[in-house]
Amino acid sequence: MTGPLTLDVVAGKMKEFGISEQVRRNRIRITTTPDKVHETIRTVQAILGFDRLITISAVDNSRTFELVFHLTGPHRMVISIAVELSHDLPAITTVSDILPPAAIYERQIHDLFGIVFTGNTNLNRIMLNEDWPADEYPLRKDWKPGPDTFYGGIKVERS
Amino acid sequence: MPEVVVSIGPHHPALKEPVNFKVIADGEKIVRLELDLSYNHRGIEKAAEQRDFVRVLPLMERVCGICSHAHSTAFAKGIEEIMQLEIPPRAQYIRTIIAELERMHSHLLWLGVAAHLIGFNTLFMWTWRDREAVQDTVEEMSGNRVHYGMNEVGGVRRDLTPAQVTAALERLPNLEERVNKYVDMVNNEETMLLRFRGVGKLSKEEALRYGTVGPTARASGIDYDTRKDDPYLAYADAPWNVVTDTQGDVYGRTRVRVWEVQESLKIVRYCLENLPEGPIRVPAPKNAPKGEILSRYEAPRGELVHFIRTNGTDKVERVDIRTPTLANWTSVAMCLVNQNLADLPVIVAAIDPCLSCTSRITLLDNQTKKTGVITLDELIRRSRSRDLGQV
Amino acid sequence: MAVPAAGLSQRLVNWARMKSPWITIFNSGACNACDIEIIACLMPRFDVERFGILVKGSPRHADILIVTGPVTLKQASRLRRVWEQIPEPKYVIAMGACGAAGGAFYGLYHVMDCVDCVIPVDVYVAGCPPRPDEIINAVVTCLNLLHEDVAHGGKEWRQKKAVPFTGTDTTTCRVMP
Repeated sequence: MTGPLTLDVVAGKMKEFGISEQVRRNRIRITTTPDKVHETIRTVQAILGFDRLITISAVDNSRTFELVFHLTGPHRMVISIAVELSHDLPAITTVSDILPPAAIYERQIHDLFGIVFTGNTNLNRIMLNEDWPADEYPLRKDWKPGPDTFYGGIKVERS
Repeated sequence: MPEVVVSIGPHHPALKEPVNFKVIADGEKIVRLELDLSYNHRGIEKAAEQRDFVRVLPLMERVCGICSHAHSTAFAKGIEEIMQLEIPPRAQYIRTIIAELERMHSHLLWLGVAAHLIGFNTLFMWTWRDREAVQDTVEEMSGNRVHYGMNEVGGVRRDLTPAQVTAALERLPNLEERVNKYVDMVNNEETMLLRFRGVGKLSKEEALRYGTVGPTARASGIDYDTRKDDPYLAYADAPWNVVTDTQGDVYGRTRVRVWEVQESLKIVRYCLENLPEGPIRVPAPKNAPKGEILSRYEAPRGELVHFIRTNGTDKVERVDIRTPTLANWTSVAMCLVNQNLADLPVIVAAIDPCLSCTSRITLLDNQTKKTGVITLDELIRRSRSRDLGQV
Repeated sequence: MAVPAAGLSQRLVNWARMKSPWITIFNSGACNACDIEIIACLMPRFDVERFGILVKGSPRHADILIVTGPVTLKQASRLRRVWEQIPEPKYVIAMGACGAAGGAFYGLYHVMDCVDCVIPVDVYVAGCPPRPDEIINAVVTCLNLLHEDVAHGGKEWRQKKAVPFTGTDTTTCRVMP
């Protein structure tokens, strides 16, 4: 990596994956499509020197889900790779094969949002208790607790 | 060979555990690590979407009781950046002082707990007694020993009077002397060296690959420190250095934390002596414009990240909290494989797990043959008697 | 009910309980500030061990159960089980704002919000978190309660009579409007 990592350098190299924009002095954001995410992350690791995953954030935009992968590297820049998924069957390939820490973030997002990460073999419950009903995802915008559903805890009877 | 599963409960490994749990391991060697965070999951991220900026800050503080100022500052500074508010220098310095005091109390707490796990209760008592000096200072400044409530969007809520500044400065020399003693102890004390050296070793490549943050990463030679990488508050003004070590094991992490307390003392002293005059807050608008921010903060355990999305109202659209302990779990899982069961409390404690950020670890073996029952007291006892040749 | 005069061995046991109560802590999903303050009670600054108060890991050795945290759905049944394992006479201290009504976490989707629904509480301590002094005060209040209970021959004199209830009060999971 010669020279500072500027928007032009990043935009030039990442042209085929999506549009880059500088959202902050040290953060560049690329918007891409779900099928290109794996390739994008591999490219930023290989060519642009981003070697550390900060986190994977998930947002529910009512009509779509948005996943944002944040990476950083020795040059201290942060890159955010944003992708939108459909609301009906949100699924995307896992990136935990190229980024081991992603496994735990994907598991968390799956538990709370219901986004499926194909290829991740360990998408068990991590945040919600074992009695939580199987297809209720609390962090979705349209989720409301059902008045008669049992979510865990203990039933208290008073006589 | 009977195999055992160890469930370590929702407490910090130092605290004694309630009730019984099954133990499955392949003899003395650990095979795999599973994680279950539902004991402490409260649903804070969803609740934050329904509280406005005044009401959400106390909730953010109470994500964790040891790094409460970290969460509330990370959130407040994220919102301030979306609103494009410049908070006054005095507020920056006050936030920095409280942040570094929090770091000191957290590292001293950790040192005591790590000592307790190897049976060195004297150090446990000493560090927690010295920690009280930090608690007294914070109590004078903010009114509470924990959950200081200093932040609001736009600045800080309370000012520091000259008397408080003098009292804080008076407590520092004694604390510096005690910390120097601890540095000395960490360098020379035989018990610690035996129990911590070579245990839970993480090389620089492994630490990078598994996304490790904080003192755990810095002990492996990686010099990521959000206070220098992405300067915020008064860290660019104060003279201090990023502390790294090359050992990569629990001993290295102990050294990094103790040296960091020394650096924090420097920062606190600088900020108290050079506290700028002026207002402590700027009026903040009620609503935040639409925007997105990745707010990074160096909590005592590592890099804390709040990803905030706002939508033009007085509430956030989404706040996604990534705690440093979650980032470090992958590396713990990796470096525990093939280690001895008796080293488990020490290795887990070495990443300084924040109780409410993560809670339970279950060790599973994929081939169960027989099960036995063992308590964590037993495990800790084994951990302590290891270097006496007993098991 | 007439209380028979306590024999010597019973009086000895009562004296031992009041002079040296043993405590067990249960963290039901707290932010851990309360737990740290309890441990701070054992440290040289406040030093409750000189009063004979020990923190034990096993509920079978304890007289007093201190519950921290708003009870999360996962911990509710475990809390009940721990409480059932403590031998009588047992006392429960619910710590802080969380113990009273869920604290900052009132209404969140993964908490039960009241220790009182799961186990009967004897003492509430206010604070977020309560100071170590206040915790020690709560333990002393428990001891006074023990003293009074011994005089009345049990706990029934101060427990509320069961009130007829027209339904099953199940765990409600609600999100603040």
